[in-house]
This record gives sequence, structure tokens and C-alpha cells, in this order.
Amino acid sequence: MWRSLRSLRQISQRTISTASRRQLENRVPEKQKLFQEDNGLPVYLKGGAMDGLLYRVTMGLSVFGTGYVLYELMVASMPKKQK
Amino acid sequence: MAHQAHSYHMVDPSPWPIFGAAAALLTTSGLIMWFHYNSSMLLTLGLISMLLVMLQWWRDIVRESTFQGHHTPTVQKGLRYGMILFITSEAFFFLGFFWAFFHSSLAPTPELGGQWPPTGIKPLNPMEVPLLNTAILLASGVTVTWAHHSITEGNRKHAIHALTLTILLGFYFTALQAMEYHEAPFSIADSVYGSTFFVATGFHGLHVIIGSSFLTVCLFRLIKFHFTSDHHFGFEAAAWYWHFVDVIWLFLYMTIYWWGS
Repeated sequence: MWRSLRSLRQISQRTISTASRRQLENRVPEKQKLFQEDNGLPVYLKGGAMDGLLYRVTMGLSVFGTGYVLYELMVASMPKKQK
Repeated sequence: MAHQAHSYHMVDPSPWPIFGAAAALLTTSGLIMWFHYNSSMLLTLGLISMLLVMLQWWRDIVRESTFQGHHTPTVQKGLRYGMILFITSEAFFFLGFFWAFFHSSLAPTPELGGQWPPTGIKPLNPMEVPLLNTAILLASGVTVTWAHHSITEGNRKHAIHALTLTILLGFYFTALQAMEYHEAPFSIADSVYGSTFFVATGFHGLHVIIGSSFLTVCLFRLIKFHFTSDHHFGFEAAAWYWHFVDVIWLFLYMTIYWWGS
């Protein structure tokens, strides 16, 4: 039983495709090169286009939200007119 | 290119602090809108923006340290101080809830029937699921220490296994607590017993979830080769936090679950 378990283990290790083997390799040096590039970009935008998108979404939500809070505060502080 | 003549990290200007403050404003105002005006949009907006800020801020710290090399030993020392001070502040946070528990339970009022647990309250048996939960968290303290030793010894496979096991134990604890909450014969509205029980254990559970998330991030970083055998402070911070969560549970178990039953 143990021999067949061992051969099963060997087979599963051997059949990892090239794509997934790349995922198991150390890609930190590539990242280090990307983030140390002298392009004047701040760290929160230095990773690529996705950084800019996430930044704009976060800013949009925060700015819209803050405006909405101020609006609701105004509404809540006005006395409700009762006739 | 100018080089600094000191070992500190002068960070790039960043929008996350101000957006984080805005997210806190939205979340707190959102709570008010939810409590008093029956609207949960602002709260949802606040929680989403808080999540976005946390993800991006911590992502940037990983970039600054692992990819840009700014975390010198001096910087790391500052981070260690910071994490210890933060955990200390959390300890004081829980101290308040333990104070509340002892205030009500050491001198139970006539309204409670002059006894603790109050009349009519059937407490959970501390020798059943709560004891299992104690064993789970203690075991997870062992596995996270095993993971740390594996990292310092350069044993990648063992480190990944041990950290994964720690996270699974954390999930197991959370699942069991959720089940206990669902099955409990008393609710948060059942006198000050319910209040102290669910607020103290509830905040603890939230900290278990936070700790498990922190450990999960560390697992991803471990798999992606971010940690070296002598520089892995993110993991150490997560491990300290996890031990803190474990200790809080031990106090909860001994006082609220065992003495209080």
C-alpha cells in the first residue's frame, strides 16, 4: 500500500505544468525591480494601472460619502416643520 | 540621486490616512443612520471604504519593505514598539469588559435574584464546547510557534503546513463559537448576564477573525517567498496578536464561563 502511495506522490509532483510551476517560484526579484524603478511614481501608484483604478474608486467613495454625511447632518439639524 | 544619511523611512506622500479618516467618519455616521433613521447605505459605504483603505495601505507597506527594502533594523524596532503598544491598548479595551463583568457578578442585585448566574439563566456548560475551544486555541498557539521556528530554520514546507494548521484551528474555533451563539439558551437581552457574556465573547470572536485574517495574509506572503529566515516581522506581529487572542480567551474561559457558571 505504501509503495503505491509513494508512486502516487511522485506522479502528482511530476505532472505540475509549467504554468503552475512558475507560480511556485520566487518572483520577489521581479517585484523588487518594478518597485525600485526610477519613474517618480509614489508607492501607491507604482504597481500599475490597477493601482490608479483602486485609488480613484476609494477616493470617489470617500468624497461622495463625506458630502452625503454633511448633507444628512444639515437635514438632521433643521427642525421638522409641523403644520 | 540623493541618499539619506540616516536609517529611518521617510515615506512617500500617501492618501490612505485621510481616506481612512473619511472612512471612519462614514462608518460612525452610518451607524447613526442605521440606528435612528433605518438606513444602512452610509454604513455599507463606510465599511467598504474602510476595507479598501486597509487593503491598499497594508499593500503599500509590503511594497515599501519587501520590494523597496526600506525596513532597516531601526525601522523594524519602531514597528515592534508600535505593535506592542497596540496590543497593550487592546488589553485595556478588554479590561473594561472584564471590569463590567465583575462589577455585576461579584455583588448581584435583587433584580437578578441576588445570585450569579441570575435566576432563570441556564449558563453554558464550561466542560463542553468551551473546553474544546480552549484546547483548539492552545493548540493553535503551539502550531504558530512551530511555524515561526520553521521560518527561522529555513524550512519552507513545515512553515506552510504549520501556519495553515494554525489558520484552520482558528476557523474551527470561530465555527464552534458561531454554533454556540446560535444554540445558547440565553440572548444578549437576558439581563446583565447576557450583556456581559455576549459583548465580551463577541469582541473576542471579532479579534479571532481579525487574527485569522492577519495570519492568512502572512500565509500568502510566506508562499510567495516574502519572508527570509531573519526578517519576517509581519509574521511575528501576527503571531504576537494571535497569542494575545489566546490569552484573552483563557481569561474569558476562567472568569465568565467557569467561575461565572
